[in-house]
Amino acid sequence: MQPEPTLEELRGLVADFQPGRGHVMPALHRVQDRYGYISRAAIEVVARQLNTTPALVYGTVSFYDDFRTHPRPETEIAWCSGPACRLRGGDRIREAIQQTLELPLGGESEDHRYGLHVGQCNGTCSEAPQVWVNGEVVGNLSVSAAIRLAREVKGE
Amino acid sequence: MTNAKLQAIIDSAKRDWAAYQSDGRQHVRICIDTSSLARGGQATLDALRAAVAARGLNVDVGTGGSWGFSWMEPTLTVRSAAGTRTVLYANLTAERVDEFVDRVLAAGGDMPELALGVVEGTSTPEVPLLSDHPFMKGQVRRLMANIGVIDPENIDHYIALGGYEGFGKALEMDAEAIVKEVVDSGLGGRAGGGFPAGRKWDFLRSATAEPRYLVCNADEGDPGAWVNRVLMEGDPQLIVEGMLIAALAARAREGYIYIRYEYPLAFARMQTAVDQAYAKGLLGTNILGSGLDFDLVVFRGAGSYVCGEETGLINSIDGYRGMPRIKPPFPAQAGLWNKPTNVNNVESYANAPLILRNGAEWWSTVSTAKEKGTKMFTFSGSVNWQGCVEIVYGPTVREALEQYAGGMKDGKRCKGFQPGGPLSGVVNGDELDLTLTLDPYRERGLFLGGGGIVFFDESACIVDLCTYFLGFCEAESCGRCTTCHGGTQRAVEILRRISLGGGREADLENFQELVKTLVWSNCFHGQFAMTTIKTALKAFAGEWTEHIVEKRCRAGVCPGLIEYRVRSQTDAALAEARAICPTAAFVEEGGQWRVDDALCVRCGACREVAPNAIEVRDRLAAPIAAGAAAGA
Repeated sequence: MQPEPTLEELRGLVADFQPGRGHVMPALHRVQDRYGYISRAAIEVVARQLNTTPALVYGTVSFYDDFRTHPRPETEIAWCSGPACRLRGGDRIREAIQQTLELPLGGESEDHRYGLHVGQCNGTCSEAPQVWVNGEVVGNLSVSAAIRLAREVKGE
Repeated sequence: MTNAKLQAIIDSAKRDWAAYQSDGRQHVRICIDTSSLARGGQATLDALRAAVAARGLNVDVGTGGSWGFSWMEPTLTVRSAAGTRTVLYANLTAERVDEFVDRVLAAGGDMPELALGVVEGTSTPEVPLLSDHPFMKGQVRRLMANIGVIDPENIDHYIALGGYEGFGKALEMDAEAIVKEVVDSGLGGRAGGGFPAGRKWDFLRSATAEPRYLVCNADEGDPGAWVNRVLMEGDPQLIVEGMLIAALAARAREGYIYIRYEYPLAFARMQTAVDQAYAKGLLGTNILGSGLDFDLVVFRGAGSYVCGEETGLINSIDGYRGMPRIKPPFPAQAGLWNKPTNVNNVESYANAPLILRNGAEWWSTVSTAKEKGTKMFTFSGSVNWQGCVEIVYGPTVREALEQYAGGMKDGKRCKGFQPGGPLSGVVNGDELDLTLTLDPYRERGLFLGGGGIVFFDESACIVDLCTYFLGFCEAESCGRCTTCHGGTQRAVEILRRISLGGGREADLENFQELVKTLVWSNCFHGQFAMTTIKTALKAFAGEWTEHIVEKRCRAGVCPGLIEYRVRSQTDAALAEARAICPTAAFVEEGGQWRVDDALCVRCGACREVAPNAIEVRDRLAAPIAAGAAAGA
């Protein structure tokens, strides 16, 4: 896991962004690309740099599913929520993974070792039903294979 | 008279291309796009480069976009050293690379078992012409003409094959003439609306406020659609040139390409394309000495479906929550930073270079009566081929299904299809003779959307599909309108109750009430969120009655209407079924195993591993045939 960035690092990271130029999202992306998530301190730094308020920046962060306010877990299963996956048992795979990991969608284990994220269809539908494990596609899953995968991730 | 600076760029690119084409080497171009990467494309590329190096072969190994055979990636072309023959191969896994390199690159032979066809040159009985491949027959590849042929990260490849010639012509025209050419072509918006692109440009041109902005909507959020991704990953300069032409026509100073977060490779390739265009002097200030200033920003979304709505997208670029605005004012009056803004789809912009280069008349020769030009489609769901095609509007859905999607998987009957995204509705499989044109859907209260068509078979439950699409609409509602965020939530609650066995006859009226009130929502998202239910209630009426009155789910999907039971205590696989169960729902009583209905989550894993020991029954205790459940 990345350490919590210092204020100085954060200020340097976003120093070239300017107010009123559509730089809120790019600044947030740069923070998240660097640290994996957007901390409270980062929201305040971005707000100050762009001459806006933390409330507005937080409003933006919280609107989008792929901005994160906490570090990613070590292993993340992103479940594909697309229709091609659904038609091939994707929702039963979701149920089985949730039960196995004992997590809701969007949840993570208390020790941050693993988590479950909602993924969106990106058109690799020949692999349906699929999940991404730390970004790598694991496709053509059966429910039982998904359970085995989740048990492995959990360390069972 | 072409701009002299541009002509020099074009001449140089053509010289380099000609030299490259006659360098006496074999050329391999492997598709590296998101679909290929999902299917091991990077490993194949690495293995290919290693195998070529290990054998000391003088072969050029390059990367490209997708020919559209997404379900058979990684694909690759091999062009002979003499340049007289090019063959397209598919499904080359890393494990087979050594054999491939030995047989095809070292020995100069064919590998018919992986060949899709001959792109150029002579065919053989084993390797026929690619144009005779059923997937390719009838396709008209204009937008996709370069894809797979060129390196999408090399602007010179694009220019050598005619790129920026359209822009060159536009540079010699006044804004009105460019608008007229695009209006004359009949190019309609490619995201489903079909509104004439030329007229939209004209709105912006005639706006009085400055500066004006162009936005390319590359937030292709409809699940099951990836046509924009294929374009951006395969030929990104087409979009850059299209926006430059629009900038001339609409006198815009700055443009944004808004790409969804889920497309990191498309984002990277568009950024590379823009960087290379700047380096050539095709973007920036006083472009090619013409006096045109145009800056282009590649912008990354962060996961929000409503940012595909043009004013939600504009708010997102502005840095706010991506909530669609209340219209009017329309973007042409007050868009980005409340300045005049034109928003078009990726495909709409990408057609502009073709129209300007070849003329409106040429461009509109392939057309139906109403829909001009070609359209890209992707097909997915319960079909054999999940690919991307470029065709002229007009074939029937049945023809498209059979020819371009390879028919339904396992030869099953097509129960229905969704014509273009979660807002577009569903059509019964009895209506496969509808054409792929805009009107038949409009007339039925649906619409043909951005190009992603999803087919489903009898293993799909209509209540489950509605739950899925309404759940999507609920999750992606921006929250502005009560009709939308409250209405979709209510619809999902009712659907869930029906699937749990609590359906009431009044629910059908409740749905109609929601249909009537959601249309009051501010934006398309709310206005069309109920389309799936509205159309499904008509097209699959009997199935709703079954769920609500008879409490039966014919597909064996709805959790409250089915139960898993142990059919055989002696089947050897029963132990495996017990072991795989994620909720430990198997309990023993007096030496007999049974499934505890309260613990069972209906995931179906047990039946997968022990199909003879486990059965699914409905409330009437009539066994549902194995394989009937979705995905089984």
